[in-house]
Amino acid sequence: MAQIPLPRPYQDTEAYWSAAKEHRFVIQKCRDCGEHQFYPRGVCSHCLSSALDWVEASGSGTVYSFSVNYRAPHPGFAGKTPFVLAIVELAEGPRMMTNIVDCDPESVRIGMPVVVTFDDVTEEITLPKFRPA
Amino acid sequence: MTPNSDMDVSTPRSMRDQFAIVGVGETTYTRGSGRSTRALGTWAIRNAMEDAGLGPDDIDGMLSYSNNDSTPATFMAGDLGIRLNFFMDCYGGGSSTEALIGMATGVIAAGMCKTVVIFRAMNGFSQVRIGGTGARSAVPVDGDNLHSRAYGWQSAGQMFAPSFLRHMYDYGTTPEQVAMVKVVHSEHASNNPKALYKKRLTVDDVLSSRMICKPLHLLDCCVETDNATAIIVTSIDRARDCKHRPAIIRSIAGRVCKPRADMHYQAGPISTVAGHYAKDILWPNAGVGPEDIDVTGAYDAFTFTTMLQLEDYGFCKKGEGGQYVSDGTTRLGGKRPNNTSGGHLCEGYTHGMNMVIENVRQLRGDVDDSCPIGPDGKRQHTYDYREGGCRQVKDVELTANLGWANPGTGSAMVMMRG
Repeated sequence: MAQIPLPRPYQDTEAYWSAAKEHRFVIQKCRDCGEHQFYPRGVCSHCLSSALDWVEASGSGTVYSFSVNYRAPHPGFAGKTPFVLAIVELAEGPRMMTNIVDCDPESVRIGMPVVVTFDDVTEEITLPKFRPA
Repeated sequence: MTPNSDMDVSTPRSMRDQFAIVGVGETTYTRGSGRSTRALGTWAIRNAMEDAGLGPDDIDGMLSYSNNDSTPATFMAGDLGIRLNFFMDCYGGGSSTEALIGMATGVIAAGMCKTVVIFRAMNGFSQVRIGGTGARSAVPVDGDNLHSRAYGWQSAGQMFAPSFLRHMYDYGTTPEQVAMVKVVHSEHASNNPKALYKKRLTVDDVLSSRMICKPLHLLDCCVETDNATAIIVTSIDRARDCKHRPAIIRSIAGRVCKPRADMHYQAGPISTVAGHYAKDILWPNAGVGPEDIDVTGAYDAFTFTTMLQLEDYGFCKKGEGGQYVSDGTTRLGGKRPNNTSGGHLCEGYTHGMNMVIENVRQLRGDVDDSCPIGPDGKRQHTYDYREGGCRQVKDVELTANLGWANPGTGSAMVMMRG
């Protein structure tokens, strides 16, 4: 069976994927203005500081919007439909693109509280996903 | 603060009415052209030159855009015997048409060249499928795509769907209202001999088609086709010598972005799209407002994209887009018809260019429907919009094209009858 497209960690994202592998969900926090951001990048998008720390996020959030996907976008997703594509607003503020799992896809609603869960796709790559809280 | 509050972009400093579209050309809208983008592109450019009454010596600038399935301008120019003083092949899909027309006016104003042809040659069905299967899905995951592709976010429909669903949540927009976009465009296409899909559809047809990604049914999504399209832009003085009445360019907003263009979901309400910002450039520069526009060309990659743009450019109040697209306003015979060719939902998919071509023809009063051609070589329009009939709108003076790349990026253009 075909593999799903997998991330290839690079300089800016290596820390994120290493933590995910250890089932820790980390995001960047700015030492200067205190704002959080996702996904990882070189500067704080709020104050342009480059003093960014990795901090463990609460793993809590709410569904900001979503789609229930009925068509495999890639051979790696064959047999896995329907699945939920979601934008989750993290308790820390940033929004991220992810999947909602461990529930009936049609039961997902905007505003639904969710918590992080980890999908060990391969030995190298673990994807942080979310499930109903 | 509006995006343009620190500069005066209104006339006389803008280039309002100084440039025009003088030629338009297309190839047949097909699923499986059996020809290269190079052959298709040369045909569309040749057709646009014939339409304008211009020869290879009259063209000295060329612009194109693509997502990897085109042929460079230098090859097209070479094949057509055009010697270039300026060319640029740009990356991009939807929203490029209006933005590149703006670039063409800029390089002409700078004295870099005199007349620019803009083309889009694509095998969007047989080569790089826009829906994200085939060649596109084999692209390696790298850089920042890694935060989306591994989760199954890939096609345009998947990427946009959360904005559409959120609009339903924020404003109570219903699938029935939005399905009317497809219904209306299918009516228009039934009066367009060139359209790939000419069958008139109902709201039920749309809602009973299979779900692709909620809230998008199959028939909420546009067609995928192989075709090339071309547009010729020149200065108003030269335009007066061309074959047809020029479509005068009043105003352009090009690839205007929402905050966080890299991932627009991060900022603001996602049920608001780039038109919210583009409108503050488009309307002041045009010197007219949405209420003055006779025909719109709101990009219909999906039924929802048409609605979101009409709303954010101010054709109705924010949140009332569902009502606007379902109350008859946008249909032929209505107050302000949209995508009279059938657009991307029915005519063919060109990354926006066919919608500009249609509005150029509307402004000429010479849309290519089935009405009989008179002794002056022009169609004798009946204004009978029943199936298979006329699709010319009466007395079109001003049109607006609203181009869409994604919820976070858009372009727009107002044209006036010459």
